[in-house]
Amino acid sequence: MLKMKNVSKVYRTDTVETHALREFSLTVDEGEFVSVTGPSGSGKTTFLNIAGLLEDLTSGTYELDGRDISKLNDKERSNVRNEKIGFIFQSFNLIPELNIFDNVDVPLRYRGFKADERKRRIEQSIEMVGLGSRLSHLPAQLSGGQQQRVAIARALAGEPRFLLADEPTGNLDTNMADSVLDLLGEINAAGTTIIMVTHELGLADRAKRNIFVRDGQVSDGAPELHLASMAAG
Amino acid sequence: MFRYYLKLGTLSIRANPILSALMVAAIAIGIGACMTIMTVRHVMSGNPIEHKNDQLYHVQVDNWNPDDPYDDPDGAPVQVTYLDAKALFDAGRAFRQTTSFKTSRVIQPEGADARPFQEESRATTADFFTMFDVPFLYGSGWDRSADETLEHVIVLSRELNEKLFGGENSVGRTLMINDESFRVTGVVDTWNPVPKYYDVNNNPFEDPAQLFLPFSVAIAGNYDNSGNTSCWKPIPDGTGREGFLASECIWIQMWVELQNESAKQDYMTFLDAYVEEQKLIGRFPRPLNNHLRNPDEWMRYNEVVDDDVDVLLGLAVLFLVVCLLNTIGLLLAKAMRSAKNTSLRRALGASKAELFKQHVIEAGMIGVAGGLFGIVMTWFGLRGIENLYADYDFIQHLVRMDWSMVMLAVALAVVSALGAALYPTWRTCNITPASYLRLQ
Amino acid sequence: MEIGPIWRAMWQSKGGYLLIGLQIAVTMAIMVNAFAIMQERASKMGRPSGIDEANTFALASVAFKPDLDYQSLIREDLEMLRNTPGVINAVVTNSFPLRQGGWSEGLHREPGVGKSVSSSAIYFVDEHGLETFGMNLVDGENFTPAQVAWDSDSDDFWPATVIITQALAEDLFPDHEGSYVGNTFWFNDDNPANIVGVVERLQAPWPTWTGVERSMLVPLIRESEFSRYVIRTEPGRRDELMPQIEEMLSASNKERIIRSVETAADARKLAYLGDSSMISILTFVIGLLTAITGLGIVGLASFSVARRKRQIGIRRALGATKTAIVRYFMIENFIVSSIGIVIGAILAVALNIFMVQAFALTPLAWYVIPIAMLILWTVGQVAVAGPARRASNVSPAIATRSS
Repeated sequence: MLKMKNVSKVYRTDTVETHALREFSLTVDEGEFVSVTGPSGSGKTTFLNIAGLLEDLTSGTYELDGRDISKLNDKERSNVRNEKIGFIFQSFNLIPELNIFDNVDVPLRYRGFKADERKRRIEQSIEMVGLGSRLSHLPAQLSGGQQQRVAIARALAGEPRFLLADEPTGNLDTNMADSVLDLLGEINAAGTTIIMVTHELGLADRAKRNIFVRDGQVSDGAPELHLASMAAG
Repeated sequence: MFRYYLKLGTLSIRANPILSALMVAAIAIGIGACMTIMTVRHVMSGNPIEHKNDQLYHVQVDNWNPDDPYDDPDGAPVQVTYLDAKALFDAGRAFRQTTSFKTSRVIQPEGADARPFQEESRATTADFFTMFDVPFLYGSGWDRSADETLEHVIVLSRELNEKLFGGENSVGRTLMINDESFRVTGVVDTWNPVPKYYDVNNNPFEDPAQLFLPFSVAIAGNYDNSGNTSCWKPIPDGTGREGFLASECIWIQMWVELQNESAKQDYMTFLDAYVEEQKLIGRFPRPLNNHLRNPDEWMRYNEVVDDDVDVLLGLAVLFLVVCLLNTIGLLLAKAMRSAKNTSLRRALGASKAELFKQHVIEAGMIGVAGGLFGIVMTWFGLRGIENLYADYDFIQHLVRMDWSMVMLAVALAVVSALGAALYPTWRTCNITPASYLRLQ
Repeated sequence: MEIGPIWRAMWQSKGGYLLIGLQIAVTMAIMVNAFAIMQERASKMGRPSGIDEANTFALASVAFKPDLDYQSLIREDLEMLRNTPGVINAVVTNSFPLRQGGWSEGLHREPGVGKSVSSSAIYFVDEHGLETFGMNLVDGENFTPAQVAWDSDSDDFWPATVIITQALAEDLFPDHEGSYVGNTFWFNDDNPANIVGVVERLQAPWPTWTGVERSMLVPLIRESEFSRYVIRTEPGRRDELMPQIEEMLSASNKERIIRSVETAADARKLAYLGDSSMISILTFVIGLLTAITGLGIVGLASFSVARRKRQIGIRRALGATKTAIVRYFMIENFIVSSIGIVIGAILAVALNIFMVQAFALTPLAWYVIPIAMLILWTVGQVAVAGPARRASNVSPAIATRSS
């Protein structure tokens, strides 16, 4: 379903070559809830960017839903992002000038849905995250947890197969974080594959499977061990 | 999607009101500067007789000094002598032909306390009115026969008819001019060709003649030429008016109407033959140098458009360039500011093409606003020009905006804004989706 | 010493800076050339015409009844004018300086029709011309009444004596040394003219003519339906006498009309209207251009401050003073302006060379360039001062915030 094989990513400047991922291989099956952890600079964000088609890979193969991603042009890649992937960011990344409705509307516009179809999906997904009464609010009028819920609604509105979450609770207090994670659990239970990048140990427990990344590679061994050692270090 | 982008554009403009206003103002001022000068130039370089451009020809024959051309290096004189005007007119070899000159006449209105006044006049021939499509309010020009019989007939301008006869149909009425009685045959409707193509030697930008009377009557009555007279060969002492008429002095404008290219060639052959014949009696000492120039060519030959206008136009275009560089800079700054937004849209599935459309539409909106304000600026610019040159009676005719200029202003503004948007939009489209999504 | 790191930081986002630089460059090119044109026009307008402009006016008498005795009409008119209290003198002439219409002749050093060696404006006057125009006779003498001819009197149209301007004398006799009085030239094949006097200055009627300083007085009164009188009044009495004299002449003879009443000052205004308007337009253009470029700099600097808030906060946290932050932005602007100004100077000279060729303008004076440079540097620094101050007010605490 998501299949990375020997993926490498090298950032080059005039003087330095940084290997963010080296020979990275990973398969994620339909319906999984995978957490990706690792120390700062381990390459987990790069992994997420490549998985989400936000960046190109330097070498290796990446198949998503059986399609070889490296062969796609910009428009096709944009379409894949739009239709198959939903993003959730640490800092929510809502557009401040747009109200809740219009924020959720953004990916649907690029999808080319008709107006009534968009409306139905927006209302449905906002209802799902429990903000049905706030459609015309601006992001700044909502709490952090509510903003993240809107971001989740935006990610879900297009009914993606994958949800990529990057430290989704990093900017939230514990209560809000818990409710967001509960929501992610429900979404996963409904069949959406979730890959969540985080450095918080507690978060990783929520996932059904943990991946530990170090030095741009999936590290072998028991995740718990690494987590413990990381916590110690 | 177009409407969605219009909405996004509106939001973006509202989110950055000062910056957007600055961009609109920069484009508007640049467009205003350009369009002000372009409007003046457009009017100055216009051809009011465009539709007969391939039938009307100004006649030039070179009777000038063998040692000293009229115009370096070998330009022919821009007017003709009375000798040649008369000979060529009498030959009647063109479909229509007219000879004319500018003169001043004193009109003596009826009534004891009415004061005589002077008016700019044109001594010309019957064909003048048909050749130049002069519109008539009442009556018409005079018959060709009047030219031959020295009939004292006259055509008035609408303005003068207003002044003398209160605007009523004055055809058939008589008028005292320099103590001679003239009969009105027609009143010209509003007719103000800009430039005054039929006589560009004597200021192409002045009000047209207020009255027209037969050339033959003017010659017989020794009317002074109030336009330009140039001589190269002295008039023998003591020969008076006759000596002047027989001289090599040029002071008459001659036009012919030729219906097609072969007629033009025939007339050229005739002109050459005429000059060759005159050479036999000692005139025309210079090499054959005859020209038939149509109104377009004639106005360009006489450089009707003032150099200052071209200088200003050049500066105005550079001015617009500055305004656009300004706009490009501001758009770029704006694009960089909204880079995070762009990056997010990319993540949410917007392709480069979609982003390009979004930003081009936004720039187009700024361009349209700039164009509309630019029209307002142009209006102010033209009023400014009008005020500056208020002492030129004619200035009001040069500062008129027509629809083509309005359309041009908007088009120029939109093209400028889109042009200005290219680089910033290109930069925007190349923002990678991942680049701004984490921190900040 | 700070320039190095600032320059290297700027190089990272050169696109934006290049745009401001280019904008300043084109602004500079326009400004310099506009200055050059303004300067040329102003010096043209500053040339004296040679007549007492402040106290002179002119009017025309147009007779419309045939068979009028023009000679006695002119004699009567002149007598009346010269006896009017407040009038210094009056003369009948064909034209006067600044009127933009007149008579010119090609001149020859030898008799004959060949190529003329010089040309000159002609003013037909009598012995009162010198005083009426208020000219300064530098050599020779005024006409005697006997030298003044009426054109009906003789077959010989051209009188044998003339008074010419210094500039015409030099143009006609470039190799001559000493007094020009007594020299002879020819109007055409058989009309010699003997120079009896030289005046310092008297412009031709056409200010745009390249030979504008070349003119001469010819002692002749032309008899025709049209005569033009030039009247010089005592200082300050022109406006009062103008309507009075117009009315007097109108009333004296009903077989002519009086028209074209205008002061020499009116004539000057009209003659130089193109030039004075050009100066006004260009002044306006320069003002507007400077404002736009200044506002552009303000806008871009504000943006750059907004974008670099965090960076500024970090600098402040690391110990940069407010002054140091202001200086940073000022130096950055100085670098951009300098690059723009240098490119602008090159553009300006190129544009000027083009305009000199295309429109026969005079080349620009070198000092216009440093003046424009100074203006643009100042505009840049003033424009960036506001945003720079705002930058210096960014709190150092921003460095520790992550969002």
